[in-house]
Amino acid sequence: MTSFLAQIRQDLAIAWASRMDSAVMLIFFVIIVTMFPLAIGPDVATLSPLAVPIIWIAAFLSILAGFDRLFSADSRTGWLDQIALSKLSLAYYAVAKAVAHWLVTAMPLLLTVPVMAVLLQIPPTAMAPLMLALIPGTIALTLLGIIGASLCEGARRGGGLMALLVLPLAVPILIFGVLASQADQLASPSLMLLGAVCLVLMALAPPVAAAALAESDEDASQ
Amino acid sequence: MFDYLANPARFSRIADAVMMPLAIITGLLLASGLYFALFNSPADYQQGETVRIMYVHVPAAWLASLGYVALGICALFYVVWRHPLADVAMRAIAPVGAIFALLTLVTGAFWGKPMWGAWWVWDARLTSMLILFFFYLGVIALANGFDRLERGSRPAALLGLVGLINVPIVKFSVDWWNTLHQPASLLRSGGISIDGAMLTPLLLMLVGFHCFFALVILLRMQAQLTARKITAIRLKSGHGAGS
Repeated sequence: MTSFLAQIRQDLAIAWASRMDSAVMLIFFVIIVTMFPLAIGPDVATLSPLAVPIIWIAAFLSILAGFDRLFSADSRTGWLDQIALSKLSLAYYAVAKAVAHWLVTAMPLLLTVPVMAVLLQIPPTAMAPLMLALIPGTIALTLLGIIGASLCEGARRGGGLMALLVLPLAVPILIFGVLASQADQLASPSLMLLGAVCLVLMALAPPVAAAALAESDEDASQ
Repeated sequence: MFDYLANPARFSRIADAVMMPLAIITGLLLASGLYFALFNSPADYQQGETVRIMYVHVPAAWLASLGYVALGICALFYVVWRHPLADVAMRAIAPVGAIFALLTLVTGAFWGKPMWGAWWVWDARLTSMLILFFFYLGVIALANGFDRLERGSRPAALLGLVGLINVPIVKFSVDWWNTLHQPASLLRSGGISIDGAMLTPLLLMLVGFHCFFALVILLRMQAQLTARKITAIRLKSGHGAGS
């Protein structure tokens, strides 16, 4: 447990040291959101039904973009070898990376969503379901991201390859997420299904990521 | 049975022996199936002649899903036991399955245009088949995405296993959601709901497609085993080292 927390602390410290990178991610999110009204036109009647999907798509793209080479530095510096030798299992290591990554990328993104909602004319009454759905949605996406990043670690075309792997898996998150955000009540069936997807990924992601990282570690030490 | 066949050399011998008869059976089945499908079966009372698309569309869809199940089983064997032949089989199946998924989508579009009035609808069955196609592409890209070929095997197998989640969604999408795509007529509770005159060509084509799939997979596995043997020989003799 202490090594698990230490791993999170270390990742947060590294993220803080290179905080410009996280800021760029956030700006990327803001820019994608502002691109849509420019493309669709500022008319409120056309824009407002699209507002929630736009926020979801922008969140998807910016969170996924952040996963490129998530494990590369650790693999290159030999940190992954040290983890493999230590008491911290690779599965917990992957979870620690996911927690730190969520705190660094998804959390600031969630904090800017209310501002983006104002830009896209989302009424204040619709904010609660949107925020409530985005929390499990971003967690699920982060878990998918560690699956994708661990599978692609060491591959030739990291970024594009990862999008190809993760986006089909992310379809249920997108569908249930947007439905839950647009539901009339807070605890909608879509929100429960989104939660279910999130829980399945919590069970699935750590062992898959651990298996893929073990392979990449073996390969690197050859 | 698996242990017995798992020896690559023995597998090659058996595959060599099986391939020729299998090719003849495949040819006969597909020829007779196509004859019945195109000339000797009734047109549908509602759909007219377009119903003949079914004789390609349905078998292709079956093989797209079954091919993915086969890929998933190979992936499991590779992840758990690291058997090289499972990797060869997985790599052999992936592109063939992808082509069948694409064939399903394309023939479906040709059928959908006259029947539904649109090439594509965002229906649960269509969307889940499209995602199955993307999974095939992902497995292919990941399996070949590394500098050393074998390095991609485990990530591709893991992705293949994760993608298995989608197969029941494809199969049951027509039951779970109220879709435009018609529900199952063959494998359904309550028995087959298709007329005998149409069932004959459909079954011939189904079995024919399965034989064709098996034949192509055997051929591709043989080719891959040979290619690996050649690489090994070249490496041993000092040529092509580092290539």
